[in-house]
Amino acid sequence: MKRSRLLPAVTWIYVVWSLLPVLIAIRFAFNEGRSRTTGQGFSLRWFWTDPTLSVRNDPTLASALEHSLVLAGLSMVIAVPLGTALALGLQRWRGRGSGVSNVLMLLPLVTPELVFAVGLFLLFTSAFGFIGLGTTAQVIGHVTFSLSWVVLIVRGRLVMIGRDVEEAAADLGAPPWHVLRRVLLPLLGPALAASLLTVFALSIDDFVVAQYMASGADTTTVPMRIYASARAAPTPALNALVTIMLVLSLAALALAWVLGRGRPVEPRA
Amino acid sequence: MSLALEHLVKRYGDVRAVDDVSIEIAHGEFFTLLGPSGCGKTSTLRLIAGFETLDSGAITLDGTDIAGKPPHKRPVNTVFQSYALFPHMTVAENVAFGLRYKRVGKAEVARRVGEAMELVQLGSLAARRPGQLSGGQQQRVALARALVLEPPVLLLDEPLGALDARLRIDLQVELKRIQETLEMTFVYVTHDQDEALTMSDRVAVMKGGRVEQCDEPRVLYEAPGTAFVANFLGSSNLIPAAVTGDGLQVGEFTLRADVNGRTGDALAMIRPERVRLEPHGSAGENRVPGMVEAVVYLGFHQDVRVRLASGALVRCDVPNDGSAVEHASGDPVCVHLPADCLRVLDP
Repeated sequence: MKRSRLLPAVTWIYVVWSLLPVLIAIRFAFNEGRSRTTGQGFSLRWFWTDPTLSVRNDPTLASALEHSLVLAGLSMVIAVPLGTALALGLQRWRGRGSGVSNVLMLLPLVTPELVFAVGLFLLFTSAFGFIGLGTTAQVIGHVTFSLSWVVLIVRGRLVMIGRDVEEAAADLGAPPWHVLRRVLLPLLGPALAASLLTVFALSIDDFVVAQYMASGADTTTVPMRIYASARAAPTPALNALVTIMLVLSLAALALAWVLGRGRPVEPRA
Repeated sequence: MSLALEHLVKRYGDVRAVDDVSIEIAHGEFFTLLGPSGCGKTSTLRLIAGFETLDSGAITLDGTDIAGKPPHKRPVNTVFQSYALFPHMTVAENVAFGLRYKRVGKAEVARRVGEAMELVQLGSLAARRPGQLSGGQQQRVALARALVLEPPVLLLDEPLGALDARLRIDLQVELKRIQETLEMTFVYVTHDQDEALTMSDRVAVMKGGRVEQCDEPRVLYEAPGTAFVANFLGSSNLIPAAVTGDGLQVGEFTLRADVNGRTGDALAMIRPERVRLEPHGSAGENRVPGMVEAVVYLGFHQDVRVRLASGALVRCDVPNDGSAVEHASGDPVCVHLPADCLRVLDP
């Protein structure tokens, strides 16, 4: 076979190149000793057992993890219902302005995060000064950029479901609220689950927005903590924290993917 | 209950999808809206169901105007072409869906769901989900789900459109049986002329948002009012002709026909099965010589195409009853167009 081997080779080099640092970082999270560059046995010291420096016992690391989870939780709870309502509204909106709004809705997906973060920073320190920086600003930031994803996911599912079942439900006597509760929401289930997990993954990964909206030590998230201490005097506890983050994000994305596929809406025989 | 549509108009942009449609449908009638796609039949049905809003006109059910009500407050129910079953509910839950809004007790719900399922012969499938059913079974569930509410008027939007031919014929018979048993008014939308002819008490043939002709199937077939209706229901010969003082002029031959007060250019319409093929030179009125152009063997009959001297092509169904003479292309023949089978239509 005369097919070039170059393409697969390049692909594999890239895969190894991009995964190697991560794997190395994970390896040292389980190090017995203090070094982050030489292997010194295996232990859970930096996750759990070290009395002052492990993720569990170092208050700065533990609070960063907690704050990251709080932000992600709040973002999920706010962005998913809001995004679902937006998707339902946009799906029904025919006529002037609907085309423009559809494009605008997708704009946050391509806006550079830094531009977005700087914009929000200016907003919360001037025009919306009453909100100020801190957890609220961080949550608003995360909700804002993850909303587009929710709309995208839910609308995709709505298109699959089609208008027929809604019309059928109304035709059988269900008032609009019941159409939503008895028919649409159950059918949107997989899309809602996928949205929740996507928002979680987006929020827990975010550094730029969280950093700009932060107001002090108690609003430090895991990515911020890692960034701050990576250049100071890091211990393998930092690697342990990175490992926890990685596992959480991967689990959320994998679950979102599995649920997002869902079952076919209306299998035709 | 009788349903009256009065001057319905529905526009989409510049297009009049439904253009001044007025129909009165009697209680217990099986009424069909028939036409090609885009003729406005489905739009008309959706106006009755309330999925579209009227631009003008009135829809009254026993004298009460229902046009202003949202779909869930109209006492009509719909069977959708796509069935639109709820995939996350069992068959029984699907059928029971609308009963919640009828304020009936639990026992009553169970009884009526059971009855509806029996009526459509689905009793054993109550616990299945729609995804596990065949197309024909899904269709029955959709029907039961609407019938269980005992609506005075049931709307059916091409309910058999997605099924294969054999099943369609079975379900046609069954639909008619159910409709007669329940003495329910059915408004049925289809583009299939056979469906319309077999089941309907009356048919409205639609074209371009308007009703071309509305009558019993037999009348539509025997006495179509326009060339469109003649062509859409069954096949027909439409021979260019002119009305003169003596009768109907086709080329150099004059035919006797009921010209119905028309003058000038016209179309002579005759069904292929009414055309008699006779030996060349046969005498008598309404006989026109021609030449066989093609013979298509179709098993139970032959389709013989004869070119008349005037240039018109006449299709003639020769039944395969054992007595038929074999024809070949190029044979000179004589076609007999009986006067009582000829209809004179506007060109």
